[in-house]
Amino acid sequence: MHRLESLRPVAIRLPQDPTLIVRVIATALLCMALAIAAHGQQTQPQDVVFKNATVMTASHGTIEHGSVWVHAGKIAGVGATVNAPAGTAVVDATGLWLTPGIIDPHSHSALDSDVNEATSPVTPSMHMIDAFDNRDKALYQALAGGVTTELLLHGSANMIGGQAVVIKNKVGLDRDAMLFPNAPGSIKFASGENPKRLYGSRNQLPSTRMGNFEVMRQAFEEAKNYMATQDAYNAKVAKGDKDAVAPKRDLKLEALADVLRGKLYVQIHCYRADEFLTEEAIAHEYGYKIRAFHHALEMYKVADKIVPEQTAIATFADWWGYKDEAWDAIPWNAVMSMRKGIRVALKSDSNDHIRRLNQEAGKMVHYGGATEDEAIRMVTLNPAWIIGVDQQTGSIDVGKDADLVLWNKDPLSTYARAQKVYIDGDLFFDVSLPGLGTPHFSGVMHGDNESGSDDGEDGQ
Amino acid sequence: MKNRNGHASNAPCSILANFSCRKGGNPQHYLGAGSIPTLLLAILSVYLSVSLSAEDAAKKVIAISGGRLLTVSHGTIENGVLIMADGKITAVGEIGKVTIPKGAQIVDAHGMTVYPGLIDPETNFGLMEVGADENARDLSEPSDEIMPHMHVADAFHAETELIPVARLNGITNAVVAPASEDTIAGQDIFIQLAGADRDAMILGRDVALAMNYGADQRRRGGRAGGHAEFPSTRMGLITQLRQTFLDVQDYIAHRDAAAAKKDEKADAKPDAKKDDKGDKIFKRDLKLEALIPYLKGERPVVIGVYEGYDIETIMALAQEFHLKVVLNHVTHSQEVLDKIAAYKVPVIIGSIYDFPRANERFDAVYTLPAELAKRGVKIAISSADAGGPVSSHSSRNLPYAAGFAAAYGLPYDDALKAITLNVAEIFGFGDQLGSLDVGKTANVVMSNGDPLDVRTDVKQVYIQGVPVPMVSRQTKLRDEYSK
Repeated sequence: MHRLESLRPVAIRLPQDPTLIVRVIATALLCMALAIAAHGQQTQPQDVVFKNATVMTASHGTIEHGSVWVHAGKIAGVGATVNAPAGTAVVDATGLWLTPGIIDPHSHSALDSDVNEATSPVTPSMHMIDAFDNRDKALYQALAGGVTTELLLHGSANMIGGQAVVIKNKVGLDRDAMLFPNAPGSIKFASGENPKRLYGSRNQLPSTRMGNFEVMRQAFEEAKNYMATQDAYNAKVAKGDKDAVAPKRDLKLEALADVLRGKLYVQIHCYRADEFLTEEAIAHEYGYKIRAFHHALEMYKVADKIVPEQTAIATFADWWGYKDEAWDAIPWNAVMSMRKGIRVALKSDSNDHIRRLNQEAGKMVHYGGATEDEAIRMVTLNPAWIIGVDQQTGSIDVGKDADLVLWNKDPLSTYARAQKVYIDGDLFFDVSLPGLGTPHFSGVMHGDNESGSDDGEDGQ
Repeated sequence: MKNRNGHASNAPCSILANFSCRKGGNPQHYLGAGSIPTLLLAILSVYLSVSLSAEDAAKKVIAISGGRLLTVSHGTIENGVLIMADGKITAVGEIGKVTIPKGAQIVDAHGMTVYPGLIDPETNFGLMEVGADENARDLSEPSDEIMPHMHVADAFHAETELIPVARLNGITNAVVAPASEDTIAGQDIFIQLAGADRDAMILGRDVALAMNYGADQRRRGGRAGGHAEFPSTRMGLITQLRQTFLDVQDYIAHRDAAAAKKDEKADAKPDAKKDDKGDKIFKRDLKLEALIPYLKGERPVVIGVYEGYDIETIMALAQEFHLKVVLNHVTHSQEVLDKIAAYKVPVIIGSIYDFPRANERFDAVYTLPAELAKRGVKIAISSADAGGPVSSHSSRNLPYAAGFAAAYGLPYDDALKAITLNVAEIFGFGDQLGSLDVGKTANVVMSNGDPLDVRTDVKQVYIQGVPVPMVSRQTKLRDEYSK
């Protein structure tokens, strides 16, 4: 378990200007090129056709005896047959299942114990990329479970935590080569028991839910003030006022301003029905949108009211009872909320469950009667939407990244094992290989931090 | 916001006390303000139905007919019949070959799978409720390492909401064990997940001694910043254990001597006692006394141990004192599997989801059940999630853990046995539970498919031949918010 008390200092990376993302991507591409050069790794994806598979597309149903053509790292064809050129390598997938890569919209893997900068309830300028350890064994174990994309989030100690990093689970490549290109930024908020318990135990604000939400409002008031100061300065400059003094840049307020400007997806750790309503009210008050509630174990109680907000949920299949705000959790939450119109994803928040999210999806057939299509979507396309990468991945559709998993059995059953995992058309896991089964990884893994949860069974 | 009170009063009435209209715990949490009369009504209706119908129901003959019977002990019977009467299984066989008694209630099980109730070999049912609520926690006494006189039976809260939740997925029996801080943590109970009251649910008190050995028990080493106390190392833990068992041997000798002296004294004349120097009243020591049946090998000692070299150390000690061992966890024992087989002791694997080490293959732990079974080890599988202590909130996932073991090479029949008959046998209930055999307690589950598959829905659970209401606090919340 991550402890909220874990207080290792975190280096701070800051967005200095709007071109940051572009620069990150450029750096990533450069690093990828360097990595390939340095390791002599073959990361050029091979064109391939999977033939005669049970193709679960996640977007348009299941194709029995279907084919999928991968060309230049993208899906170039899917259907009963595909128009791949003669000579394209063929994988005979007779008796096997093919799904999109599993996507986890709530992971704290590969962050050592640097999940929570729990020194203040408002820490929006923390960037999880600064703690991302691309050699953590949790990434490999998740890969072997078919996970191709993860949203690595700040923990839930703070009402306003830090900014997430989106990775493609390319185990064996360098850190920056694992970043998901062009993924939008997300910021983690939290509410409820965790912030109030942590700061309350130090006799600080917040120690109640009243305190929790007031801390948020106060932060946004400061951000508005900061934005107004910046606007005033910009107006002076526009008028040609050469004496105008630039206001001091404040990284924390800059990040909050990005929330108010709609530049960051807001991902909120939140359990209780009343808190969903409060969070939406505050979002309206300050003019931002909530992308998803995470955990959201009581969404079944108020789904009708949240549907118009278009806020999704990332929830557990059946984890419950570990603390008071998880006491009304029911395993039918996901399907009940989905039936009312909520976009539902399942997530791990755990280095354990991330290895078998396909089974968690299978449970939805049991708890509420989800169709196979609906169930598989909860661990592919819907989490892709929450992260904001659903145009690139999350389903087997022409033009999307070739993030694919080949399974030996129905992936919604208890018995499925991932046989091969492809990311951008490149093979990153192959169970038939000796040793670890990782074509691109050799060397030493890290991994002292076992659970990968900041909110697990011990109520952390 | 809907008012949940109405729901409690509308709840179907149970013939069993462990039912979600809870009478203990924290009713305020479940029921809103002004709900007391409703609560009382609900409780009353449950109690009335308990006293009125439990015996009648048990006497009713039920025939489950047309299902696929997974007997566990003698294979699969397609299109079978199972008859239950007086709480027992009275017939099992193919349709047409079994006579259904006149007046029996016939349950149509076509398309259904019927199997013995599942048995979870390690839980903490009734020792905790909401995980984070310390007041409700009775998991262990960490004041000393040697706590054999802690009886789980004394803390077991039969009305826990966790039990109906697990029962709905076909768990009908379980071992309740203390948590693992101590090398000798206390004595387990073996329970049935339904019954008129606590005593009816506890099928066996002090059925096994819960022991643990390894890194986690050397907690007095100042590792958390405190000052070091004995025992702070594995050497200390083993020495302390060895001394304890020697003390028990000594205690037995003194107790027997005192008893013999007492007998002599009773025979002797009143004035013959003056010169008796050793004539002290023998003072019982509950701690040492608690260990006697285990030192005599009368009951099993369940040893939670993770590392291969720790297994070798603790087994040497266990053999020195002739303990009847059941190994538990054995997560990182891949190097000593043959040795474990040579010990000829049963092994509980839990959690199958525990993490392999860095640089180990991802399935190093998933394959343990298969590897042990291949070597002839009798295995059981528990429901624990990875890492950390057992949490019985997840007990309902027990069949999936067994299914996962099957996915990684354990033969299917062995997987089912590892959560039914093997558990019953390891804890001394093999003649009563764990398979569909005539004469056994009628703990039977009917589902719409493979019991080990996550997609399968359990349709009905029978405990002692009585259909258990398929209701938990969670189904009530579901139904309330589905209106």
